Amino acid sequence: MIEFQNVSKWFGALQVLRDVNATVAKGTTTVLCGPSGSGKSTLIRTVNRLEPIQKGKITLAGHDIYAKDIDVNVLRSGIGFVFQQFNLFPHLSVVENVMLPLLRIRKQSRAQARPVAMQMLERVGLADKAHSLPADISGGQSQRVAIARSLILKPEVLVLDEPTSALDPEMVGEVLKLLRELSADGITMMCVTHEMGFAREVADRIWFLRNGTLTFDAEPAEFFSDEAHQDVRNFLSAVRKNR
Amino acid sequence: MLEIIQNYWLLLLIGEYPHGKLGGLAMTLIISFVSLIVTFPCAVLIALARTGKPGIIQSIANGFVHSVRAIPLLMLIFWAYFAVPMIIGFPIDAAFTLIVAIVIYQTAYLGEIIAAGITGLPKGQREAAAALGLGYVPTMFRIILPQAIFNVIPGIVNQLTTIIKESSLGSIIAVSELSYVMLQVNSNEVTKPLQIFGILAAVYFVLCFALSQATNWLERRISSRRTGQVVVEAVA
Repeated sequence: MIEFQNVSKWFGALQVLRDVNATVAKGTTTVLCGPSGSGKSTLIRTVNRLEPIQKGKITLAGHDIYAKDIDVNVLRSGIGFVFQQFNLFPHLSVVENVMLPLLRIRKQSRAQARPVAMQMLERVGLADKAHSLPADISGGQSQRVAIARSLILKPEVLVLDEPTSALDPEMVGEVLKLLRELSADGITMMCVTHEMGFAREVADRIWFLRNGTLTFDAEPAEFFSDEAHQDVRNFLSAVRKNR
Repeated sequence: MLEIIQNYWLLLLIGEYPHGKLGGLAMTLIISFVSLIVTFPCAVLIALARTGKPGIIQSIANGFVHSVRAIPLLMLIFWAYFAVPMIIGFPIDAAFTLIVAIVIYQTAYLGEIIAAGITGLPKGQREAAAALGLGYVPTMFRIILPQAIFNVIPGIVNQLTTIIKESSLGSIIAVSELSYVMLQVNSNEVTKPLQIFGILAAVYFVLCFALSQATNWLERRISSRRTGQVVVEAVA
């Protein structure tokens, strides 16, 4: 579904991705983890070209996403993206946030878009908050709205950049529950997270990055075993200690 | 002072209208209002150009803002009043000249205020719009500008008070606005400049004070809305 071939990226003189080669199979969930500054977020932001790459190739369903005939807005509308800080539009109500892509990209009327948006809000359990402003709902609810908004165009791929990192501990569960359901539904998902329990339970593959290099790519059973790469074992040990 | 008001209140309010040109306070308000209405979209365009991608359009906008900010409004009014008719070959109305000068001048300042509102928004707002697949126009007009303008409403209203005060410069090119009318009254009464210009100052004060109070009210409302204390029922 998504293939990274020798993907490299620099911020000025600093190389943040080094020849990343990996594949995300259709309908699978891939969790990216690693220490801060390892390039996890940068890597997933290359999938919808929020971050351009300087070397290598990324293909989505066999199409080079940097091909000249690719319309970047069409590409992005086919990939749901969820940010750590939710990035809801504060001047729009919850339902308007979710409706926006239908109105502006699918060019649907409000009468057409509204029931679809309400259905999506029901799916994430927030239909009763449809008319609230983002300022009036909790962090966990905001992230669920952001997920609903990212799914409204029925993307084939959902990319999540630390979706629970900005949440209070009691809010994390409600978001992870929703992600488990989405994973079970078979959407292709890439998720940067430090929630190792979630990774163990939901991921089909876990990628470990360090200094911009994909150092380990394994199934959860191998990732959490003693067979894992030394970097991974050190990382997991540090995560356990910090709990 | 009361005697002056009793004798000249109609002149002060509407000038010589209906026997002559509309003037006085009505003219001041019309000039101010029209100037703001015309300035606003021009300022939005300047702000978009200033905050957009570097290129020829941004360079032109930068040049415009830096040039206008470096010259006094009075010079701009004189230039428009004396030079423009010479260039275009026919005379133009003084009030129109004044409005054009104010619009050019205020476009630079209001443009900077709106540009500050745009750059002050979190980067994530643009990224979220981009991630949804929204292009430049819907991103700016549906996501960025509504928030940016909302956040700088106090600055915009502040510019309106500045425009009201700047409209008094019209008296120099014989625009029959409030200050010009009071200068005429002063010519008639000769010995009462303190009272006459006291009234003039009081009228400007009431206008601008009312606007600044409205600004304070708006700021409080914006603040309470953003912190979620007021639930707004959105129309979907």
